[in-house]
Amino acid sequence: MNTFLHISPVTASILVTLLPLFACLVQALIGKKSISGNIALVAIIASTGISLFGVFLPIWNETTTLQKWAWFTIGERTLEVGIHLNNLTVLMQLLVCIISLPVHIYSRAYMKNDEGIHRYWMYLSLFCFAMLGLTVSINLLQLYIFWELVGFASYLLIGFWFTKETAVQANKKAFLINRIGDIGFLIGIALVYAHCGTLDLSVLFNQTGTQIAIDKNATWVTFAGLAFFLGAMAKSAQFPLHVWLPDAMEGPTSVSSLIHAATMVAAGIFLLCTVFPLFNDTVLLVVSIIGTLTALSAAIFALGQYDIKKVLAFSTISQLGFMMVGVGIGAWNAAMFHLTTHAFFKCLLFLCAGAVIHEMAHLKAKAKLDIDPQDLRHLGGLRHFMPKTFTCMVVASLSLAGFPFTSGYLSKDSIVITAYEWANHLGGVYVLIPILLTIVSLLTAFYIGRLIFKTFFGDFKYRSYIDEGIVFHEAPSLMLVPMFFLAAGSLFPLFGISLTDYHSAWIMQTLDAGTHSPILAQAHLFIPILLTGGAILGWFMGWRWYVKQKYPLSENNRFVHFAYKQGYLNEFNEHIFVRGTTGLSRILYTFDRYVVDGFTKLFSWLVRQLSVVAYWFDKHIVDGIVNLLAGTMYYIGHLVRHVQNGQLQTYLGFALTIVVLGLLYLLIK
Amino acid sequence: MITLTHFLVVSACIFCIGLYAVLAKRNTIMILVGIELMINAAILNFVAFGKYDKVNYGGQVFAIFAIVLAAAAVAVGLAIILNVYRHFNTINPQNIHELKD
Repeated sequence: MNTFLHISPVTASILVTLLPLFACLVQALIGKKSISGNIALVAIIASTGISLFGVFLPIWNETTTLQKWAWFTIGERTLEVGIHLNNLTVLMQLLVCIISLPVHIYSRAYMKNDEGIHRYWMYLSLFCFAMLGLTVSINLLQLYIFWELVGFASYLLIGFWFTKETAVQANKKAFLINRIGDIGFLIGIALVYAHCGTLDLSVLFNQTGTQIAIDKNATWVTFAGLAFFLGAMAKSAQFPLHVWLPDAMEGPTSVSSLIHAATMVAAGIFLLCTVFPLFNDTVLLVVSIIGTLTALSAAIFALGQYDIKKVLAFSTISQLGFMMVGVGIGAWNAAMFHLTTHAFFKCLLFLCAGAVIHEMAHLKAKAKLDIDPQDLRHLGGLRHFMPKTFTCMVVASLSLAGFPFTSGYLSKDSIVITAYEWANHLGGVYVLIPILLTIVSLLTAFYIGRLIFKTFFGDFKYRSYIDEGIVFHEAPSLMLVPMFFLAAGSLFPLFGISLTDYHSAWIMQTLDAGTHSPILAQAHLFIPILLTGGAILGWFMGWRWYVKQKYPLSENNRFVHFAYKQGYLNEFNEHIFVRGTTGLSRILYTFDRYVVDGFTKLFSWLVRQLSVVAYWFDKHIVDGIVNLLAGTMYYIGHLVRHVQNGQLQTYLGFALTIVVLGLLYLLIK
Repeated sequence: MITLTHFLVVSACIFCIGLYAVLAKRNTIMILVGIELMINAAILNFVAFGKYDKVNYGGQVFAIFAIVLAAAAVAVGLAIILNVYRHFNTINPQNIHELKD
């Protein structure tokens, strides 16, 4: 299979990883002289090509290969870095490449004329490098390094327009919340190293049976699993650590699409899939519950958002919740499948949204309007002006909503059906999880329908400006080509020829989770029908509400407000954590100011008083004695010195006095 | 009758006048005069006590010696005063205080 220049897959994979880093460094050196982004683009094209032909095709479903190099030795143990190529990692690496490529092309048009574009290309390459390196890391510590790099690159990109206060706040928030997760990841690594003595993934989770025996019921396994999950929660924006993702929309739209589709948020899911053998039932249950909670809460929040990008952000969180449930019920292959399909249609959704925002921003600039170009309330009826964008967006939305003939249909059904089978096998309250997932699926269909209807149907508010001659046109072809490519990827043929059977999709066939609940034949029949029917109903409701203007709820409905405010979670965080922290620091400040400083001040005051006393003693007693002596001597000398005045007669008088005194003495004696 | 005590009292008075002149006068000539008075008081004592040496008249002889010596001393003193005047342009002893340290 290896026909690509006859290089080994490992070398090819290193090339794939290092090319974007190289592009980043070159761009950093050249700086403002290169604003076209050709360096980054060439690097990612080469990476994609090598990744597909040099890595993916030789490895996928064929073999597992790895190579290690000793990094450093501590005591007896040597830490190794290396490349780990198996089905999971090559799929992930290829996915990152394939999603990054259209984003790069799209960015050329979208970011044109931006002042900081040279920085943009640099960061974008760095971001790709970090994510590509993360996918093929063999060592948990190596993975952690790339994990941090991904976080850092996303911090740079979210705050790309750093002159905007909100952008700065958003990247700070993203970074801080990711730190919480990073702590979890680090604790997990430490626990694994303490108990297994190695961080090598190929040794830890070797499928061939030579793996280190891990007692799954041990307490530390539960803790380690939860710690890894905490890391994934922050990275993959799981409730309640999802708050950074909607704010991260402050970055350029092309960056949002990359963050949401293949990099950053996907890293969390990927991590869980990688360390999946470590998880025991307790951890998996927690993962499922958090995933369900995330999916549900995000879907509800998405209903109330007016910002076009925030709707998509919450839909991402919701879909990530699905993937988490996939991992939690043991079907991590379904999660990866959904991750892959989701990457395509979510990237496409963002790129379409970006095209709409781009054109709206132009209209805003030309017509000198004072509107937010991302606000759904200002959009409407755009299908007449941007038919191609409209088509792409509908394809992506249908895929997200899980309509037949789309990739989303296959992957989402795979998770929901597996969840039903899992719940059926376990029985009891576990059934709640698939039921909630079904509800979330219907909500998903509704909110994405709402987005489409509000954006592309109805009347365009600013039609009068266009009638006056201001041009409002389709997105440029440089943006459309990547969109068409992704739209093709959002349809079912890319993943499997069967319309309904997700088991026959090639990703599902190769990736084998190894844990199966008994198959329910009815589930495979009824659930797709239920989901599709529900989705169509949802779209129909959306049509009636938003296009036919039969909106049944008032603006001030409490539920709408609750969803718009994202469940008051930000306010909750603000009140509890931010205020709590500032309150605590204020108390500590007061303590420091009055107690600690008070002691110091009291002490210094005492010393000062003591020194005043000592000074007084020194000045008046010690000096006093000396001065008194000196003064006395001076006075005596003063008395005598009148005699020595050079006056002849005084000397005579003095001599006479002495003689007289001597005579008197002699007489009296 | 004039006794020894009368001589001594007169002598003491002259001495005191001379002493006063030496200590208080603002003219060096007058100081020299004061010194002469004091010398003469001493000579008077020599003469007065001379009555106890009726053989050699030692008192009277010594007095003559002393008178000659005093005359010589006055000559020297006057010469010094003349030089002092040349040097200081004054003979007021208060203005001459080169002896001061």
